[in-house]
Amino acid sequence: MHRLVSRLQLPFSILGEKALKWANITGGLILLTWQIMLNLLPWNWNFDGPEIWRSMYRVGVQSFPIVVVTAVLVGAIMVIQSGLYIEQYQAHGLLGWGAGYAILREVGPILIGLMFSGRVGANNTAELGTMKVTDQIDALRALAIDPVAYLVMPRFLAMIVMMFLLVVVGNFTALIGGAVTSQVLLGVDMMLFYQSVVTYVLLDDLWHGLIKSVMFGFAIAVISCYFGLATRGGAVGVGRAVNASVVGSAIAIFAIDYFVAFGTL
Amino acid sequence: MIRIENITKYHQGRPVLEDVSFTIAEGSNVGLIGPGGSGKSLLLKIVCGLVSPDGGKVFIDDVDVHSLTPQELADLRFRIGMLFQNYALFDFMNVGENIAFPLHQEGGFSDEEIDERVKQALIDISLPGIDHLFPNELSGGMKKRVSFARAVIRRPPILFYDDPTAGLDPVTSSKIFILLEKMKVEGGVTSVTISHDIQGIKSICDRFAMLEEGKLVFLGDHDEIEACEIPVVSKFWQGYSDDELEI
Repeated sequence: MHRLVSRLQLPFSILGEKALKWANITGGLILLTWQIMLNLLPWNWNFDGPEIWRSMYRVGVQSFPIVVVTAVLVGAIMVIQSGLYIEQYQAHGLLGWGAGYAILREVGPILIGLMFSGRVGANNTAELGTMKVTDQIDALRALAIDPVAYLVMPRFLAMIVMMFLLVVVGNFTALIGGAVTSQVLLGVDMMLFYQSVVTYVLLDDLWHGLIKSVMFGFAIAVISCYFGLATRGGAVGVGRAVNASVVGSAIAIFAIDYFVAFGTL
Repeated sequence: MIRIENITKYHQGRPVLEDVSFTIAEGSNVGLIGPGGSGKSLLLKIVCGLVSPDGGKVFIDDVDVHSLTPQELADLRFRIGMLFQNYALFDFMNVGENIAFPLHQEGGFSDEEIDERVKQALIDISLPGIDHLFPNELSGGMKKRVSFARAVIRRPPILFYDDPTAGLDPVTSSKIFILLEKMKVEGGVTSVTISHDIQGIKSICDRFAMLEEGKLVFLGDHDEIEACEIPVVSKFWQGYSDDELEI
């Protein structure tokens, strides 16, 4: 009888444990976001300028090559995928619009966001996680320094600004990649591609993607910092935290994309 | 004076500290001893406000540490130095920056003054001229001494040392204990030292507190612990075990 009761309880126990874990993560994310917001209030500004520049360099400038390569390939893929239909309907004048619309509005920000999360977010979580398990975070607190103000804020600001700038650069290079591919593989003149982009793609499409890039930067920064600061259990814990950070950021990117798309219908 | 009152802490429903109470008089050095996992480091973190207890209170100069606002706690921490068990040196800073960091954060020091104090601190720990090295270029003993220099650079009146000689060779250990003794004699600091090196802490501590499975099992001075008949305490102090080792 006792065993039967235990077995019946098991699913609820697992469910409860999972619910508590998720509640803990959600609460932690909300709390960290709140602390970041408090640090953004003008009377709480205590930013380390050089540290922000260093973070921007690490986060943005060092991500530049990988973003450019990704963006060029994204542009090329967009053109190749739509090339079949463009040829079928002889709608060469719409190639720039098709590729440009998809790149600026959706594919560019999402893929760059995922690359950014994989490179910058994972690195950020690993850095903070290692600091946590080696007591460096406690050492900061013991020296009367708020880890959020000192470690999180420069990373947060750098990630938002650089994510925006990387998407601007990524959009531009993706369009160049698309134009070159359309010329080389489909024989569509680059000027026609350009005309198609500037004629049919709206400024609204560009802003739509750029606003999302800021939101993605925000989400990646908060999630990667949270999982870094919440790391426990040595090197294994750091690995788990990085994994959780990358998965969490990817989910957040798609969720934000869905809600923005839904909200701007 | 530091007053620890009925500190209790649970981890996953299991008590890791149970009703621990004792006081540390001003200017004294209490040696906190006990087997690994008995809650010594946790107690130290609770005392300096890094971890909140589930029950009990800690008073530093009659101020309840865990009822302070973040700003008040920060102000209190300017008066506390802590040497962490695994160094906790900031690996993105070189040695000089690590030692100077508390002074930069406190403010009110000129660059020349900070440089001078860092140089002197490195001389005091017998490691002059290594300020440009990064923590990953140092040996365990060097890291420990640099960590010590960072903990005391502000000349705080309260110091906590978490296993300052763990993993060090006997010569380096004795150097560290000399530094701790110097801090006590010259600085008149109030301190708590966690260590498994009984011979070492015998020489620098006035009183001893022993934790066993989260409970305080002994509190007294050198003579009292030498004469203590509580088996767990006398065995730990004399460093012997009843367990037979099969080879």
